[in-house]
Amino acid sequence: MMRHPRLATVALVYRKELRETLRDRRTLMVMVLFPLVVYPLMSLLLAQVMASKASKNAAHASRIAVSGAPAETAALRKTVAADHTNFALQPSGDTTDVELGRLDALIVAGEGRAGKTAVTIVYDETREPSNQARERIDRLLSGALPAQCQLTYAVTDRSIAPGAKVGGYILSKILPLVVVVMVMLGAFYPAIDITAGERERGTLETILASPVDRFDLMTGKVLAVATLAAVTGMLNLVSISLTMLEGIRLMGGATEALRIPWIRTLASLIMVVPSAFLFASVMVAVGAMARGFKEAQNLLTPIYFLCITPALIAGLGEYEMAGVALVVPGVNVTLLARAIVLGNARLVPALVVIASTLAYGGIALALAARLYDSERLLYADDQHLGLRDWLRRLLLGARDDESVRAPGVSASDALLLFGLAYVLLFFVFFPLQSHHLELGLVVSEWGGMLGLVVIYARVTRQKLAAVLVLERPPARALLGALLCGLSAWVAIGLLAQWIAPPPPELVESLRRQISPPGGRGLVATLLLMAVTPAICEEALFRGPILRGLASRLSPLAAAVLTGVFFGLFHFDVWRFLPTGLLGVMLSLIALRANSIIPSMLAHAVNNGCLVALAQLGLDERINTSRTGVQIAIFLAATAVLAAGAVLVATTPPTGSQRGEAPNDGGEAHNDGGNAENDGPRQM
Amino acid sequence: MEVSTLAGVAIENLTKSFGDAVAVDGISLQVAPGEIYGLLGPNGAGKTTTLRVLAGILAASSGRVSVAGIEVTPRAQEAKRRLGFLTSTTGLYARLTARELLTYFGRLHGMAPAAVAARIDWIARTLDFATLLDKRCEALSSGGKQRVSVARAVLHDPPVLILDEPTVGLDVLATRFLREFVRAERDRGKAVIYSTHYLADAELLCDRIGLLHRGRMLAEGSPAALRAMAGGASSLEEAFLTLVAALEGGARPAPAPLS
Repeated sequence: MMRHPRLATVALVYRKELRETLRDRRTLMVMVLFPLVVYPLMSLLLAQVMASKASKNAAHASRIAVSGAPAETAALRKTVAADHTNFALQPSGDTTDVELGRLDALIVAGEGRAGKTAVTIVYDETREPSNQARERIDRLLSGALPAQCQLTYAVTDRSIAPGAKVGGYILSKILPLVVVVMVMLGAFYPAIDITAGERERGTLETILASPVDRFDLMTGKVLAVATLAAVTGMLNLVSISLTMLEGIRLMGGATEALRIPWIRTLASLIMVVPSAFLFASVMVAVGAMARGFKEAQNLLTPIYFLCITPALIAGLGEYEMAGVALVVPGVNVTLLARAIVLGNARLVPALVVIASTLAYGGIALALAARLYDSERLLYADDQHLGLRDWLRRLLLGARDDESVRAPGVSASDALLLFGLAYVLLFFVFFPLQSHHLELGLVVSEWGGMLGLVVIYARVTRQKLAAVLVLERPPARALLGALLCGLSAWVAIGLLAQWIAPPPPELVESLRRQISPPGGRGLVATLLLMAVTPAICEEALFRGPILRGLASRLSPLAAAVLTGVFFGLFHFDVWRFLPTGLLGVMLSLIALRANSIIPSMLAHAVNNGCLVALAQLGLDERINTSRTGVQIAIFLAATAVLAAGAVLVATTPPTGSQRGEAPNDGGEAHNDGGNAENDGPRQM
Repeated sequence: MEVSTLAGVAIENLTKSFGDAVAVDGISLQVAPGEIYGLLGPNGAGKTTTLRVLAGILAASSGRVSVAGIEVTPRAQEAKRRLGFLTSTTGLYARLTARELLTYFGRLHGMAPAAVAARIDWIARTLDFATLLDKRCEALSSGGKQRVSVARAVLHDPPVLILDEPTVGLDVLATRFLREFVRAERDRGKAVIYSTHYLADAELLCDRIGLLHRGRMLAEGSPAALRAMAGGASSLEEAFLTLVAALEGGARPAPAPLS
């Protein structure tokens, strides 16, 4: 028998998956029915309703009454009555008539002074005819001139943007976002169908027993999903353009002033292919982890929204296609599509976007092949090997260091605490901070963070010191933490400045918080913005959150995840990187020293330096210095940071660390959470 | 015991663990061409895990496994080409027709398009489902699905056949068809491993039987030899219970010599 080359196998799998998926009604509905039938139908219905409403409104004469001072009232009545087309003047009326809808608006005239009459328009903002009446009166009265006067200027608007540019601008706001969203939706069901569906229908074992390489198999699957997603995206693109054209015609036929730039719209199809590949790979990778449709849907729904978010940000904002945005997945393809539609795309950035998106897709595909793991998918049925345990094992290996685990804090406790603190901060403390910064900060830090940890310790009947791991640290760890605190803000700050420079408004707003115009004093600011966060934020993040995560994950993974949480907690896309990195560093210090005190020290020193510099007005010096100087400062800070890290890392284990880790270098200590201990021996 | 690399199936000291749990614990067996070997045991005995290692779906923790002379661990794809694997679920793609499905697997096994088409026609006539070839698998009866599934397993004419609980959920007619098919394949010189927990099924069909219990080989031999080993038990079921009782009591009988 001849042996198939790999491409032939991929093509074989691709054709089969495509054929099978196209016979699935759900896929066809999402792929064809939505873009070609539902979407245009809904848009056109909406346009027709709006057009009919607009013409009805235009034909409706506003019912108006005039009241107030008799002399002025007479003049106003005359003015209004002259416009028969727009107004139906009523003999009398008051505010109640407007409220009850008997009048669209009421003009109340005041006493005339210095040749002017004060006029109040009473209307109901919640009624469309009333709004229209207000606009008409406004227009009528603002154009009213004394008899002997005439207008000095005759103003005519003339937009220099050609119709195609206007059309392109409107399309650029709608099209990229909708296409990205539809590409993802197009990938959603097929990705589940060909991964989890394979498992659920009992065909997984059959295909795995066939002589097909797992990577070839996943490549065929991903390409099939990508094709379906791309077709969905393209159909949507064409459908949106045609619908818009028809909408324009219905709204008054202004096709000359507003035209679709067809060539550029078609050229933007180029972004559909890399996006489809990326989203298909990501969704197949996630779907590959699931053992059934339900699990796959549960896993993919948050991923779907996570993928939409960058596209939404890029689609709705006014961002330039340059710098870091070129390599941010989701953001870059949206910006590229917009640039193409607007006709200002450049070749090199476009190639960077396409190459980076394809590269991310390739990484996700490799991950998909790795995650399509028969050991878990087949074995887990009987042995209840949970997704979380399996992922931990796959990514981190078996846990071999239990020394950092505080006995009473679990990973789920950590997640619950983070979720609670996050919600409290967003819904309660942020509004408070915007109302009164100092009070808001004190309450959110001491109440929303430390207070939360105290309540947690009481509810779970643990000692607060044990939850926080408030142990006396070795002097070496303290010295290392001090060095880290002294240098991290420079190194991390510059790194963030280079990778994703924050907008000047944000920097200015932070500076105003640290050093308000009215002045706060250095000591008070240090207490508020250095000491308080060092105690309260550390208590929450390096306390139960870190210790809980470390009970499930390796120390490094727990530190990274805690850092991510810490970054997210600052609710600012520009501050995510620096605060996240700081969070990772502080977590590693706390874990290594087996005490929260060194991380508190490092946090206090880090914030203290930032506060002192901002108060002294020296903080801009580093960011605005020449690149060579910045690099020198960065290297010096990194050297100090490294010295601090070495000191912390070489801190000898404390007594409690030695006591809790009797198996160091020997067998792994297992906390009995592994379901496989129950084994397959079930007679 | 030396692993035969010539033909059939050879397993030597196979162990398969999942974390701390040992699913298969040092199993050894050989199946010669033209032989039906029954792998018997209750649920969780390690039958399916053993067969999945043999089929290259799971990796062995230790030990050696070969299929038709090919060692599975370093050369899994080659071994899979010499293997037909029939699972307890029919494992058919519901939205493909029987012909599309068989073509897909035939091509995956490296068969040329014309050869696949000719083989499908022949096998459909032989297994009596030619009229079902262009129907979607989801529209087939359980008997029809089983026939298509069998055809998929033997389409590439492999020298080794693995059947894992193939009669689960089948009616009497379909079960009978399957038994006859397995015998016919044995007579054509195939090495067949037939896993089941229906002891009566195995007694009717198998030349030799290995009794698995908690991942270990409890006893091995012809049905008659196993009954004799259990002190002249009247059936395989009785023999199995006697042997398990002896093991639970602490006295584990040594596996019988290969016949």
